[in-house]
Amino acid sequence: MRSDIYTVIFTLMVTVILGLFISITADTLRSKQEINEALDIKKNILSVLGFSQSGVQWTSDKIQSIYENNIKEIIIDSKGNEVQNPDLPDGDVLKIYQSTENNGSVSGYAIPISGKGLWGTMYGYFAMAPDASTVKGITFYKHKETPGLGGEVDKDWFKNNFVGKKLIDGDGNLVSIEVVKGYVSNSDPNASHKVDGISGATITGKGVTTFLKEDLQKYEPYFAKIRKLNQIDSL
Amino acid sequence: MGENPISIHVLGICSALAITTKIDTAVVMTLAVVAVLSISNTVISLLRNKIPNKVRIIIQMSVIASLVIIADQILKAYMYDMSKLLGVFLGLIITNCIVLGRAEAFAMQNSPGKAFFDGLGNGLGYGTILIAVAFFREIFGFGSIYGGQIITDQMYLSGYENNGLMILSPGAFFILGLIVWVHRSYTKVIDKE
Repeated sequence: MRSDIYTVIFTLMVTVILGLFISITADTLRSKQEINEALDIKKNILSVLGFSQSGVQWTSDKIQSIYENNIKEIIIDSKGNEVQNPDLPDGDVLKIYQSTENNGSVSGYAIPISGKGLWGTMYGYFAMAPDASTVKGITFYKHKETPGLGGEVDKDWFKNNFVGKKLIDGDGNLVSIEVVKGYVSNSDPNASHKVDGISGATITGKGVTTFLKEDLQKYEPYFAKIRKLNQIDSL
Repeated sequence: MGENPISIHVLGICSALAITTKIDTAVVMTLAVVAVLSISNTVISLLRNKIPNKVRIIIQMSVIASLVIIADQILKAYMYDMSKLLGVFLGLIITNCIVLGRAEAFAMQNSPGKAFFDGLGNGLGYGTILIAVAFFREIFGFGSIYGGQIITDQMYLSGYENNGLMILSPGAFFILGLIVWVHRSYTKVIDKE
């Protein structure tokens, strides 16, 4: 039987040595991990804005270069004004990712979306065309929904349902997109604001409906201006 | 083969259910478990005469936990997409009874060399079953093998559908049950009452 003091000292030493190993690994790998995370976010933004070509594997350099050439990050405040030097606290600024064609014309806007699903917070991006009403795409890069049920939100069949839907009704009001239970009927006059739900995942669908609308409302002051500008341009 | 941790001792079932929807995740998981298991066995075997008996489980756990964290960090740095797929289950290697079981039952009594190979063997045995389960789940659930589509569009058009049950955890239960059954009747292992 060894003494208690030996036990304490031994345990302490083991813990310190193991802790040292972990800190060294974490520290040496941190920069690489951060690059990966940032890259993953950029990849999501690009794909939601329609840059992605399915089947083609993007290298990290490719993602970087497309992102730098075609995406402009705009920061706005809650009133929809562009902010040049964001010295506001994090919660008060909103980020918009504006994509441009190679000739410089705007091809779409993406905004971050997040909110509660069934098991946890879902994170993704939502993109619209330059008219700030037609949906370009939606993507989820982090969620905890059940695979095969709510987890279908990140599958193409569900995401493609959003493409081409309208956020704005005939009077110019924001109605957002609703994920319905079951299928959207063709005779529904509001079919352009609704997408098919996922069977067995009603709560996930309701969650998406709710936080999509909330997030869009936050950005509405800015996009209302965009729509007004578009109107003036077209006159 | 007579000592397979999953099919004979029925250990490590939790992760076997979670990450076996596709073969590539199962392969990476196997590599992680083999690495953690063989290194933890070696380290614990090296310390086996120094570890105070009272706190041996705690020491074993800390060694295992540290190795798992390091493995997780490495995956995040070099295989980011894969680490997103494995998610929390890589971390759960810590609670995988195989790892602690081998440390307590084997590494504490044997020399580092033997313990290393015991860890390697058990890890690979675990991995064999993982990959076998993943193989069947991927074929029936996605119609592919290691990412390569084998069920052609033609077959989908003529009415073939992927079996959604295979992607969910119960699908793994069925396959695992079948594998345990086949393996046990082949090796004639029967639980003593």
